[in-house]
Amino acid sequence: MHKVAVMNLTKYPARINRQTSTFNSAADPRKMRRIIAEDPEWSLAVVPLLANLCLQNIVKNFKEKPIFDELLPGHKAFVLEKLSTSLSLSVTANLISDEAYWKRCCESRWGLSDVSEYGHSWKRMLFERHLENIIELFIPDVTDPKSVLDVVPQCRNYVRRLKISQLLPPIREPPKFEEDDSSDSASDMGHEGPSMDHFDFSILLDKLTNLEELQLVYGVKGCGMNFEWNLFEFTFRDCESLAKALKSCKSLKVLRIQQSKVDDDKCRVLVSSLLDHPSLLELDLSHNLIGDRGARAIGKLLGRSHLKRLAIYNNQIRGPGAQALSHALAKNPSLVALNLRLNRLADEGGQAVAQALLKNQNLVSLHLGANEMTEPTATAMANALVHNSTLRNLSLACNRLGVDGGKVLEEGMSHNSSLVECDIRLTDMSLENEYCIGQILRTNQSRACRRQTQDTGATQ
Amino acid sequence: METLRQETDEAGPSIGSENPDERIAARRLRIAARNEAKKRQELGSNSQEDTEIKEVRMSQKKVEQSEKRMAKLQADGTELVTNILVAADFRESKRRAEMEEARRLRIEKLENEAKSSLEKFEEITQKWTVAKAKQIPQDLRDALISQQILCGQLLEDKNKVIIELQQELKASDDRYVKDLKKHTEEVDLMIERLQEQIISLKKSYREELDLVESTFDEERRTLLADNRMKWEQQRQRQSDRELELLLQRMQQVEEHELQLQRLRLDNTKECNTIKAKLEMDVQILEQQLQKMKATCQLNQEKLEYNFQVLKKRDEENIITKSQQKRKITRMQDILNNLKTKCSNQEKQSREENQSLTDDYKRIMQQYKDMQRKMRHFAAVDAKRLEDVWLMNEAEAKALVRQALEIDRLIHEQQLGLAWTPPPLTVMEQPGPVQPRNRIQPSARQAAAQALVRREAPGEERELEEQTDGNTVEVPGGPESTGGRMDQKTVKRLLELLCDEMGFLIESKLLKLLSPLEKDERSLIKLDSIFSALAIESEEDVYKMADFFMKYKFQQKDQAEQHSSVSNQGETAEQKDSDLIHPNDVLRALRTFTALYCKPRDISSRQLSGIPELEGRDDSEDGACWESLATVVPEPKLKVWSTLEAALEKYHFVLTERSKLVNETQHLKQQNSELRMLLHQYLNSKVNTELAIPPTQVMKLDPE
Repeated sequence: MHKVAVMNLTKYPARINRQTSTFNSAADPRKMRRIIAEDPEWSLAVVPLLANLCLQNIVKNFKEKPIFDELLPGHKAFVLEKLSTSLSLSVTANLISDEAYWKRCCESRWGLSDVSEYGHSWKRMLFERHLENIIELFIPDVTDPKSVLDVVPQCRNYVRRLKISQLLPPIREPPKFEEDDSSDSASDMGHEGPSMDHFDFSILLDKLTNLEELQLVYGVKGCGMNFEWNLFEFTFRDCESLAKALKSCKSLKVLRIQQSKVDDDKCRVLVSSLLDHPSLLELDLSHNLIGDRGARAIGKLLGRSHLKRLAIYNNQIRGPGAQALSHALAKNPSLVALNLRLNRLADEGGQAVAQALLKNQNLVSLHLGANEMTEPTATAMANALVHNSTLRNLSLACNRLGVDGGKVLEEGMSHNSSLVECDIRLTDMSLENEYCIGQILRTNQSRACRRQTQDTGATQ
Repeated sequence: METLRQETDEAGPSIGSENPDERIAARRLRIAARNEAKKRQELGSNSQEDTEIKEVRMSQKKVEQSEKRMAKLQADGTELVTNILVAADFRESKRRAEMEEARRLRIEKLENEAKSSLEKFEEITQKWTVAKAKQIPQDLRDALISQQILCGQLLEDKNKVIIELQQELKASDDRYVKDLKKHTEEVDLMIERLQEQIISLKKSYREELDLVESTFDEERRTLLADNRMKWEQQRQRQSDRELELLLQRMQQVEEHELQLQRLRLDNTKECNTIKAKLEMDVQILEQQLQKMKATCQLNQEKLEYNFQVLKKRDEENIITKSQQKRKITRMQDILNNLKTKCSNQEKQSREENQSLTDDYKRIMQQYKDMQRKMRHFAAVDAKRLEDVWLMNEAEAKALVRQALEIDRLIHEQQLGLAWTPPPLTVMEQPGPVQPRNRIQPSARQAAAQALVRREAPGEERELEEQTDGNTVEVPGGPESTGGRMDQKTVKRLLELLCDEMGFLIESKLLKLLSPLEKDERSLIKLDSIFSALAIESEEDVYKMADFFMKYKFQQKDQAEQHSSVSNQGETAEQKDSDLIHPNDVLRALRTFTALYCKPRDISSRQLSGIPELEGRDDSEDGACWESLATVVPEPKLKVWSTLEAALEKYHFVLTERSKLVNETQHLKQQNSELRMLLHQYLNSKVNTELAIPPTQVMKLDPE
């Protein structure tokens, strides 16, 4: 006990000394801090508020030390106003939700732009366009895939749509010079070298959990006089990786792959990956090289998905493909719009489609323009129109239906009351028939208007 | 309503719009407007309804017309624009068909060509074999030349095909370029058309809008005019009515003014009178008020004074109250102290009381003891006195008799005179104290007697006589008055008592008695019963028996009275009518004890012998003793003194003589002793040893 007490006693003086020393050191700056009372121009208004100073400091050092959520609402607004648009997205992405800031960012990057396309969200617009830019400028084997993946954690929550208008091929001397407009040979060439593979989507899509719409063009934009055929290759490997990526992306609703030389085999690969997809609603494979086998695969997809819109115009689908499609169409309960423009269905396919319309009860829009159809299709279609009451828009333009076909169609139309639009330009019909059909359409339109007003009135 | 409609039509989406959503919205608005209109119509008057509907229809029609027109315009425009697309499609499809056809033709041609060239080739190869077979050089040369020509033809054909294909390619290239050009043209055209379309649509929309606006304006104007007219009419009507009302009102006002004037006059009169009266009242009241004020002042002062006084008092009260309070507290303390003291005191006093009572009891006990002792001692004293008395008397009498005897002896022997005895009246007279030889026989003895009598009837008489003698001796005894009791009844009664009164005997005693004989047992039992009942004497026994007999007779009388009530008791009593019923013994005994025990106690106390002591008079005692002292007369005493003197002389002589006798006696004795000694010495053994034995000496002197 005594010992302890003595020790304590010995301890205290030391502590006291230390304290006094600290006091002395603290006393000095206190002396220095003085207000010069004689200054006549001094006023409190000149002195910036401490809060403002702090906020300015926060803005200045936002990159190193992002303090935002802890601030008061007023201070937040101040900080957002002052914050630089050139700050790296990794800092701001998940921290700032204010639209005004993102608007400033977007405008500083791309100038004026239409935000309505992006669901009126500047932030979404910024991240989507940012990611699109990165992917469009991605050069395989040159650009590091990490540069894409680095952006993902920031974009993930905001990217809903990717509209990729070009995909660059790797920079390498092409092994072979190819000058052939035949599609088959081009697709065959795709197998040859792995050098022509584009950006691999399988590393990206499974990470974008909110992605709903994907639009791809396997080709180069604005190549000008540097045109080479191999700039527009869609290799089999690309296809496989894309199929894998699509399978992993469960939130996808809209898929558009246009002008990418998708032939039957690739189409089958893609479709097989899309079978039983939980959310896909719209598929667009137009301006490709899909033939009958591809069409058959798409027909299978119709049976095993919830597709609402299908566009496969400007392909090479012929009669058998159309038969497969119409077979699927007859049973499909969900498809609303089908576009088969610029194919080669001919009468064989046209009749099949018309017969499918007899059974189908949900298709609203059907485009069969420029399909080399003739009179038999017109009769079949007239028969379908008599029985079908859901179809509203029909296009049969650029088919040589002929005068007789026009007559039959007019007769069929006279029994129809649901069709609102029917394109029958350049079908070699007589003007009389065209006029009659136009009249019927107009009455149908007014009737539909009335019905709609009644419906809305009833609901109101 | 119209303005609303205008708004919807002007600002809102039009029904004729291209966008279906917009159309829907427009229709919805229209329906809403219609519903609104309906509501208003219902609310509004019927007269206005028709006109409104008409007007609505006019504008509606106009709007619908314009909508239709615009829709048509738009459809035409879109058709115009899409025409290009369709044409392009058509061309494309046509081109494709042509291409297909061309390809087909080309392939056919190529196949034909291939076939022909194959034929040619086969021909050439055949010719080669032919040529090989040829031996003649000319022939061979010819053949070779022909072969060469054929090969050249074949090559030419091939070249031709190639050139053709190249031409086709070039043509298609040209065509592609042309197509491209055309496409650009078409795109330009389309853009142009679109722009035109936009411009025209804008223009027409504006026109339509203007038109619709103008119609609406017109409608509004007409409506306004109508409404204004109506308004004017209404206002006119209203103003007329107002005027009328005003006139009426003025008239009324005049009337009212007159009335008011009249009323005012009346009121002023009334008011004046009332005023005067009231003023009077006021004066009186003021006076009263003054008085009251004075009194009030007075009262106030008084009250103030009182208040002061009361204040003072209050203060005093407070002081006194505090004092009282203090006092109360003090008192309380004191009270508490006192209470404690009191309690202590009480306790002490109780203790004291207890001790005192104890003392008292003890003292009482002591007192009783003392009394008892005193009684005892009194009795003893009496007895002693009696004894002493008797003894002294006897002694005195003996002394007297001795003196008389001596006197007689003196007279007879010494004097030789005849002795005449003095009168001895004193001797014959009995003393004041008589020896008490009367002993009452105890109850036990009586009982024993009563019991024994049964066994020995012979002795009965004797005992009876004895008891008779005893009882007769006692003067005024209760038994003597009660007469003789039948001994048999007494005995039976005693036996009855012995049986019935067992509870009075101690249980221990009963145990002890069990081995004894019946008679003895009953005797002891009776003894204990008598001790319990405090019956001590025989007298009491007989008294009891007598009482019992009497009681029996009484009971009998009562029983006769109540014979009707209790038959059983009657029979039992009749059975032994001469004796008391065993059941009644206890009752009878109780009444007996209640009656006799108290008086007997008192009487016994009175008879305890104390009055004997008290009642004794000692007046005669002195005389008595005196008489005893004077038995011997004076002359006789003189005789005696002279005689004494003579006798003393005689006595002296006699004593001298006796002394001498004694001396001789003594000498005789000494002589015998000496003789004895001498004899002893002579007979001793030493004498034999001596030269001269004393015996011889003695022999010398044999005597």
